[in-house]
Amino acid sequence: MPLIVRLAWRNIGRNKRRTSLTVAAAVFAVVLVVHMIALTSGMHDRMIEDNVRMHAGHLQLTGAGYLEDRTLERFVRWTPALAATVDSEPGVAAAAPRVNGFALLSNGPASQGVALLGVDPAREGGVSTWPARIVQGEFLDGEAREILLGERLAEALGARIGGEVLVYTVAYTLENAYELFRVRGLIRAPDPRLERSLALISLADAQALFAYDGRVSEVAMLVRDPARLEATRAALAADVAVHSTEPLDVNPWQRVMPELAQLIRIDDVQNYSMLAILVVVVAFGILNTILMSVLERQRELGVMLALGFAPRAIFRLVYIESLLLSGIGLAFGLVLALPAAAVMERHPVPITGDIQKMTETFGVTPVITWELTAWNPAIATSLMIAIALLAALYPAAKAASARPVDALRSL
Amino acid sequence: MARALAQFAGSLVRASTWRLALRGLGRQPRRSAVVLAAVAIGLGSLLLAMALQYGLVGQMAETAIRSEIGDLQVHASAWKDSAPLAERMPEAPSLAALDGAQTLIGVAPRLRGEALAQSPRASVGVRVIGVDPAREPSVTTLASLVQEGAWLGVQPRRALVGGGLARRLRTGVGDKIVLAVQDVRGDLTGEAFRIGGVLNPPTRELDESVVVLSLPDAQRLYGVAGEISELALAARDRAALEAPRAEAAAALGVGVRVETWREREPLLSMMIELFDQMGWVIYAAIFVAMAFGIANVLLMSVLERTREIGILLAIGMPPARMVAIVIAESAVLVMVGVALGFALGFGGIYALRDGIDLGVFGDGLRAYGMPTKLMPIARSGDVTAPLVVAGVTALIASLWPALRAVRTRPAEALRRA
Repeated sequence: MPLIVRLAWRNIGRNKRRTSLTVAAAVFAVVLVVHMIALTSGMHDRMIEDNVRMHAGHLQLTGAGYLEDRTLERFVRWTPALAATVDSEPGVAAAAPRVNGFALLSNGPASQGVALLGVDPAREGGVSTWPARIVQGEFLDGEAREILLGERLAEALGARIGGEVLVYTVAYTLENAYELFRVRGLIRAPDPRLERSLALISLADAQALFAYDGRVSEVAMLVRDPARLEATRAALAADVAVHSTEPLDVNPWQRVMPELAQLIRIDDVQNYSMLAILVVVVAFGILNTILMSVLERQRELGVMLALGFAPRAIFRLVYIESLLLSGIGLAFGLVLALPAAAVMERHPVPITGDIQKMTETFGVTPVITWELTAWNPAIATSLMIAIALLAALYPAAKAASARPVDALRSL
Repeated sequence: MARALAQFAGSLVRASTWRLALRGLGRQPRRSAVVLAAVAIGLGSLLLAMALQYGLVGQMAETAIRSEIGDLQVHASAWKDSAPLAERMPEAPSLAALDGAQTLIGVAPRLRGEALAQSPRASVGVRVIGVDPAREPSVTTLASLVQEGAWLGVQPRRALVGGGLARRLRTGVGDKIVLAVQDVRGDLTGEAFRIGGVLNPPTRELDESVVVLSLPDAQRLYGVAGEISELALAARDRAALEAPRAEAAAALGVGVRVETWREREPLLSMMIELFDQMGWVIYAAIFVAMAFGIANVLLMSVLERTREIGILLAIGMPPARMVAIVIAESAVLVMVGVALGFALGFGGIYALRDGIDLGVFGDGLRAYGMPTKLMPIARSGDVTAPLVVAGVTALIASLWPALRAVRTRPAEALRRA
């Protein structure tokens, strides 16, 4: 061990009580940082995955500009060639074409405006969780003129499984379209508002109803590796351009659900501002310890300078003391926090009560999840280094500028 | 033990205790200043951060209440959101009953229904709200949201739509749209309206899927002349909604249900409560981090004064008095720090009172009904939570140093010097 590190080590060991209190503050900060980052990144990942898998998919292939107004006028021609291109794209795990329209559903005197979704029964399950969300009856299987209703929608309409509802809408050709559908199943969606205004029919029926021959509004896709989303998106955009006469967009989930992407960004800003405040508070603790130890050692530092120690070496000595303090805090903090976070990562905690309803409304499974990535200890480490560097600045400058004469005289 | 407690309490109210505490802190002014700075800067920035966060949540509630919900709402007892047309109340008698109410400053009748809005280019499922053009502004800000065109007036068959809906329908002011509905008898019917104005509402739902009509137009469209589905009320005192609730319920008699905005929007109300609870956790976390620094300073100060404390104990100062002095030192540090922190935090809140433009976050905020201009909002909790947490912190941080001080053995302490 170089002399200067040994000196620094001895110096922080001189007042063990003071050092341990300072280290304890650092340990507390590290534990808090590790868990807070694990919790928020766990929550954000769950929000993204839940929303992506509920309906939207990681990527959506649409007609150019579809996301701006979501009208029937913007479409994708879902030809076998295009389907083959999408299916053979190496990064794409599954794809499901959909027609998105609006309709007024009525059953006797009750009526309700709904988002009417035409889905391919064979493909939909690969992308979204709709087939798994059936609470009564069955999912669509290709039988003509069958419809799935949100549970609350069915309740509002007074509709039952096996009963018929009238679907009234305006087709792509702007002609009025009516059709009777038989209720095949009821769906439960996490968001009650969504559940009250959602109905699913088969893609073929939707294309017939909306006079949308061979067209779809969007093709939702899951990718194999979400970390390589942008690469997959670009590759797919290049490949589909070859097969389509109309201009198409391949939208990542951030564009399909901008609310979600921005909510996550805001949450990050809030969390990092809290961490910043914590860092400042802990940095002051370390500053105080180092400063006191420097002030107590005025005489000793003066002697060192008088003996020919360069001021730069003194400066470095104080810096190493600060780094040692926060380094010890970091080591203990990580040892305490990481195993606990790793255990929690395997055991998500279910949320119950009122907050459960709230998370469900935002389309998120009500569990608290920890997520540990290499980023987590890396952020904690860089924060502690930042604390050490900030805290030592004033004491180190103070120490290096000690005047040997004054220091020696002061005794 | 009782005597020690009495001595302790007695010492805390003696001026000399606090003088001694101040002198103890003054011996190492730099050290005390660093702790003060930690408490002040930590608390100050935390206060500002919390006020900004609450600004987001609080403005969200405010937006929802002010733009559509109102402070209170009245519906027929059996009314449900899912079938807004099914249960209705008579318009004229309800209004007459509430017009003299002392605790209300606004009463707005509405009819709610569902429709399919069609333009020559597209069709969209919408919620229809029929409002009384003259009364609505006494409860909500809807009339002030008109961005283009004009608020509903004397001309019949005018519809107001959000900018988002206008875009989806590819229409603008002056264009015709058809609202296809199922009327109260269950017949499919429809009527053409001219777009009289485009709104710029603060929530995406209002922006993209709501059509506002005048109440008579809506009543004719759905075939329910003289009936309404809802009364939105504005209370004179928005902090105390029980009195207006009771008055409205009494005036309207049986068969209706009066609910506050908290009951109408339980999620919003829950988010605010959750936020309040989170606030305590965050204040506690930051003060725990501060407690280490405070304990450190006190302990050092006690250890440096071993000789002095030894002498004081030797000449007969009760240990309880010694504990009181150390706690007083801690209290002085924390309270001065908290006072400076309040000054910093509330100064910052005052400096940002005009709000921060959140344009960078844009649409995401709007979708959740959040404001795009963020104003810090301080509440009583921002004073009480730090005070309570700081008090506990001062006490806890001084425990070890205080114990250490009274354990000083006079003989040893005197020998050491």
